[in-house]
Amino acid sequence: MQPNGHGDQQPNIVVVDDEEMVVTSIRAFLTLETEYNIHGFTEPERAVQHLELNPVDVVISDYLMPKLNGIQFLSKARQLQPEAARVLLTGHADKQSAIQAINEVGLFQYLEKPWDNSQLLLIIQSAIERATLFRSLRDKISELDSAHSSLKNVQTRLLRAFL
Amino acid sequence: MSDPAAAAGPEQELEATRRNLAEAHKMASLGRLAAGIVHEINTPVGSILSNNETIRRSLESVRKLLGAAVEQGQPPTARTLAVLDTLASLTDIDKIACERILAIIRGLKTFARVNESDLQKINIHEVILNTIKLTNCVFRRRVTVVTEFDEGLPEVECYPGLLNQVFLNLVVNAAQAIPNEGTVTIRTAMEEDRAHIAISDTGTGIPESLRPRIFSAGFTTKPIGEGTGLGLTITREIVEDTHGGRISFETETGVGTTFHVWIPLRQPRSQERV
Repeated sequence: MQPNGHGDQQPNIVVVDDEEMVVTSIRAFLTLETEYNIHGFTEPERAVQHLELNPVDVVISDYLMPKLNGIQFLSKARQLQPEAARVLLTGHADKQSAIQAINEVGLFQYLEKPWDNSQLLLIIQSAIERATLFRSLRDKISELDSAHSSLKNVQTRLLRAFL
Repeated sequence: MSDPAAAAGPEQELEATRRNLAEAHKMASLGRLAAGIVHEINTPVGSILSNNETIRRSLESVRKLLGAAVEQGQPPTARTLAVLDTLASLTDIDKIACERILAIIRGLKTFARVNESDLQKINIHEVILNTIKLTNCVFRRRVTVVTEFDEGLPEVECYPGLLNQVFLNLVVNAAQAIPNEGTVTIRTAMEEDRAHIAISDTGTGIPESLRPRIFSAGFTTKPIGEGTGLGLTITREIVEDTHGGRISFETETGVGTTFHVWIPLRQPRSQERV
């Protein structure tokens, strides 16, 4: 598995919650249990800046946050890094916001607080796999495109040679 | 007839009905805050549960690492010490999380005082602060609540459960009047023999055409499910009819609204009123 297409680099996980305690808890859990790089933010705007500059595999976001709510933030994340899997972690069991999130931001998973660490880890693992598959698919498509254009060139040259 | 309310006379019956209505409205108001309160409790609970699981698993690995170090006669590795530091930081988070939950529960407990029929001398600032703890669950992301208390304000003799309802109604109204982000300021002061509480918002203000109707029963500008149209009616009754105080407001469109409440520090003896 090659997250981010950067060789042996570990997967990058972004965690956004305006509650410092949630970011700290998830960061501590993932740091102790995995080798992932965890980037935690309490302000979604800062997380957007991070996404503009750094490749990310999974984005986990709270829903209720000031200025930018979880859906608005994940929508920006989708624009910036469409292949990164998006997970909404919310304490607000609101079906409408969940449906909105699934439809508007192509949500990978919806998780309610209080969350279960094992479940969170499973979701992150499948999210990384999904992001990796997407990247691999993109690379294959790009390889196919380039092979296709090489073939086209060969075909053009052959046609020129015979005509 | 054995009905005590009927035996007590129409005024007492009216007062009892008024209390029941205020109580029902208080529960309805709390119900509307419930989703926000659940969110505010779920966040620290989520952290505590996650931390507990992390600490439990990490303690096991720390025990093994320390065991291995002892066997080899070596000091604990840097990694072991780093894990212990992380675990210590998680217990700090747990303490903060528990305090957050306790604060919300304290706020709720104040509201759980059902129909207190006895007058009590209370610190009105505590009632206001408990109200803010609950309203913050819903509004804190867009509304900042500022308090400017007169620390010399003596205890006020009142029906605390009913005054809770007054402050809850006024703070919720103030926050809802603010379309995006803004501030609600709560000031207290001593004025002669009354406590003066002013609740100001930086909201849209009340349009002139609606001002004469705001205390009328059944009048609301809120969407269905958000308002009963009874909040300010009940608030006025609790302040003026039950406590012999006064309520008024000043408002400017586009600038905000301030509600003023005056509550006498001492009530006429309970048997004269109830």
